Amino acid sequence: MTNSLNDIRHAKSMIFIGSNAAEAHPVAMQHILHAREVNNAPLIVVDPRFTKLAAKATDYVRIRPGTDAAFMMGLINVIIENGWQDKEFIRTRVAGFPEMAAVAKQYTPGAVEEITGIPAAETVRIAKLLADNRPTSLTWCMGGTQHHIGSSITRTFCILQLVLGNMGKSGGGTNIFRGHDNVQGATDMCVLSHSLPAYYGLKDGSWKHWCRVWDVDYEWIKSRFKAKKWMNSKGFTLSRWYEGVIQEDKIEQYTPIKALIQWGCGANSNSMFHKVRKAYDKLDLIVLIDPFPTMLAAAADKDNIYLLPSASQYETSGSVTSTSRQIQWRDKVVDPVHGSRDDYQIMEELVKRFGFADKFYKNIKKTPEDITLELGRGSLTIGYNGQTPERIKRQMANWHTFDIDTLQARGGPCDGEYFGLPWPCWTEKHPGTPILYDISKPVAKGGLPVRNRFGLEHTYSMSGRTENQLAAKGVANPGSQVMGGYPEFKDVVPGTNWKTDLSQKTIKVALSRGMAPFGNARARCVVWNFPDQVPIHREPLHSPRPDLIKKYPTYEDQPNQYRVFTRFKSEQNPELVKNYPYVLTTGRMVEHMGAGAETRSNKYLAELKPDMYAEINPRLANDLGIRDGEMVWIESPEGGRIKVRAKLTERVDNKTIFLPFHFAGFFMGTSLRENYPEGLVPYALGEPGNIVTNYGYDIITQIQATKDGLCRVNKA
Amino acid sequence: MARVKFLCDVERCIDCNGCVVACKEGNQVPVGINRRRVVTINEGRPGEKSISVACMHCADAPCIAVCPVDAIYQRDDGIVLVNKKICIGCGYCFMACPFGAPQFPGDRVFGARGAMDKCTFCAGGPVKTFSEEERRLYGQNRIAEGKVPLCAAMCATKALMAGDADIIADIYRKRVFRRGSGAGAWGWDRAYRGK
Repeated sequence: MTNSLNDIRHAKSMIFIGSNAAEAHPVAMQHILHAREVNNAPLIVVDPRFTKLAAKATDYVRIRPGTDAAFMMGLINVIIENGWQDKEFIRTRVAGFPEMAAVAKQYTPGAVEEITGIPAAETVRIAKLLADNRPTSLTWCMGGTQHHIGSSITRTFCILQLVLGNMGKSGGGTNIFRGHDNVQGATDMCVLSHSLPAYYGLKDGSWKHWCRVWDVDYEWIKSRFKAKKWMNSKGFTLSRWYEGVIQEDKIEQYTPIKALIQWGCGANSNSMFHKVRKAYDKLDLIVLIDPFPTMLAAAADKDNIYLLPSASQYETSGSVTSTSRQIQWRDKVVDPVHGSRDDYQIMEELVKRFGFADKFYKNIKKTPEDITLELGRGSLTIGYNGQTPERIKRQMANWHTFDIDTLQARGGPCDGEYFGLPWPCWTEKHPGTPILYDISKPVAKGGLPVRNRFGLEHTYSMSGRTENQLAAKGVANPGSQVMGGYPEFKDVVPGTNWKTDLSQKTIKVALSRGMAPFGNARARCVVWNFPDQVPIHREPLHSPRPDLIKKYPTYEDQPNQYRVFTRFKSEQNPELVKNYPYVLTTGRMVEHMGAGAETRSNKYLAELKPDMYAEINPRLANDLGIRDGEMVWIESPEGGRIKVRAKLTERVDNKTIFLPFHFAGFFMGTSLRENYPEGLVPYALGEPGNIVTNYGYDIITQIQATKDGLCRVNKA
Repeated sequence: MARVKFLCDVERCIDCNGCVVACKEGNQVPVGINRRRVVTINEGRPGEKSISVACMHCADAPCIAVCPVDAIYQRDDGIVLVNKKICIGCGYCFMACPFGAPQFPGDRVFGARGAMDKCTFCAGGPVKTFSEEERRLYGQNRIAEGKVPLCAAMCATKALMAGDADIIADIYRKRVFRRGSGAGAWGWDRAYRGK
């Protein structure tokens, strides 16, 4: 999120695409409704469903699932055709604009209508609305990412904001809403297979950096791997880990996966869950660490599983990061009950049993404060170093001194600080950066240019043009010693740069010169290291439009994507729609969260939403002879099938089926109630929607494509 | 003396049911008893609106008028409460109430209704304030603590307001002014037929 939830209060218009904030982020709605009411800001909702957020919209645009990139490129094209783009912003702070514009040109309103189903006049109208009401706050969520072109779709959102000049401005920005309060923190710690914490990657230098932070011998870490190459190679992802066990797609690893630890992760959020389940029985060992028994506890049939009850958020303390990059301190309310232990204790015991606790606890004497300090000292890439436990706790004690509109403390002990010291917070004196890429403020006061990450200049293969990647002359934060673009700081301490200098001298020198440690560059419209240098539309892997598959085909198959063969082209079968005629999309309901283990175990939430259901348009239901409340079978091309109640509603159109994904405890028509530990059966059980979500993964990130699959529906 | 009221701003209510769950969890209301509910009209269609409804604590409450045993009474501040020790569970109040507020536990022998339960405006009931008995029979007494009811305190979008009727009416009036007549104020199109 470049801005913050509170900053949406300053938006002059808002566009939500692939986000149902009214259900997924209800607390954020106060700011959204504030902008709508006080600024008279249009609230544009683009979604395949008429969601509860759409009910609050001024403008609702129904879009065919998986075609967001086409719509965005269409908007960009209309904006450029009419000269509505922010020419000065593009001239000074954007790279690759002409190359991008040449691609966008193909997405005429007519072409967009053909792909997305959005009337041509509507694309023009929305483009004008955005041009007339700047700045726009743009929000997307999983509806934007969970596609095989998810990484392209999200880039089109960013490019739209660049073209309109809405980046680095209060009321603008790309505001991706994350889930509960530590989803952003988990992301920043890169609890992922392709990077060490704080986005350092897996290169030798990255390992050496973190070894210095942890005070662990690099050679010893290296010796823990079978061979050095595995240290630097991306691991399996959450989306496809089970292929490492069942190997239906070929894996590129010297051994299958033998053990699984699922820690605070609902199993049924994995797509094609019926295949995931196959892996459980083939594993030697499963360890489930959670306050509630998840679907994994019920779906694993063999006696190879251990359940470790972990404490809830009320039974532990520590720092957490919110969607607005704000770090807060959570205090313990009660000691852990029911024999559970908090995550720190479980991790420490685990590491002790492995026999290397002495190596990793050198800097950690006081839990959790020392953990926050250690991760901050290492996470220089994103400026986590200024948020000491002391400062965070002082803010917690002085909430009332912060302004709701600016998030800045007025007077009091935190005077001048922004709430949560939003990262990057470069030093222990820095107030935090409330808006990324905002050059209206000095860097030391929370301003920030665009990072210089991709060299000083580049020659585009698409056009042959060479462009300087640094910001234009005259453009920098106030007080900068260089008025214009400049590269990242390095060799202030010889042999280091701003992100590996643990003394943090480099950062301090940069700030004292009024400059950002990471340079002052341009935001890229062309990503030359991606398969689509400029994002384009590609038909969903399982598309209902065989004619469009020909015109907008997917990528080539990837033999080794995160260690597993991943099909693209060979999976895109134009005939599939004949047997699976309806588009399947999934999403959230406000009463349940994530995989639902916690909320379905709350009797009041279970009372409100006790049943799994499929949303079907009344017209389609009547054609299929299905009445409201009747049971139906939903079947996927991969052989997944679920028996659920039909909920007739016009939220979906008559080609689309919607499933919430929070339910578990049933499996393809059978109840797994007996499999839960005694006394711990959730109040609400139901079929996991993810049993029928389809094959398909993003080309870059391998996130699962759960929003644009195909299915068939039959009366049960 | 000030009279308390609830007011739900339909432009703000997002049907999140936070008020419902806060009420149930905070007052330990049994499953099946709904002191508060969110009602949605035109679900999934343009014009979808939601409103959170509980006992309205009517100025001239029909439930009080029809109660044969005078179990229901009104405090000086307007809060309507029931004395569960007097209530016979006849259900007249349910018939009289325009909002479906009175609730009856259904788990008694022969399907008999227990004593009526409804929203207390988080003001406890006619037993000793802050006593265990009050908590068990009626739930929390936040009014005695100087707090607003849980439902309104919990509302993320500040759609549901509770308190002195004059003050919340003023807050709502300011909101309507700020939204402006052309900004889709509720009832505008109906009142002026698009003029």
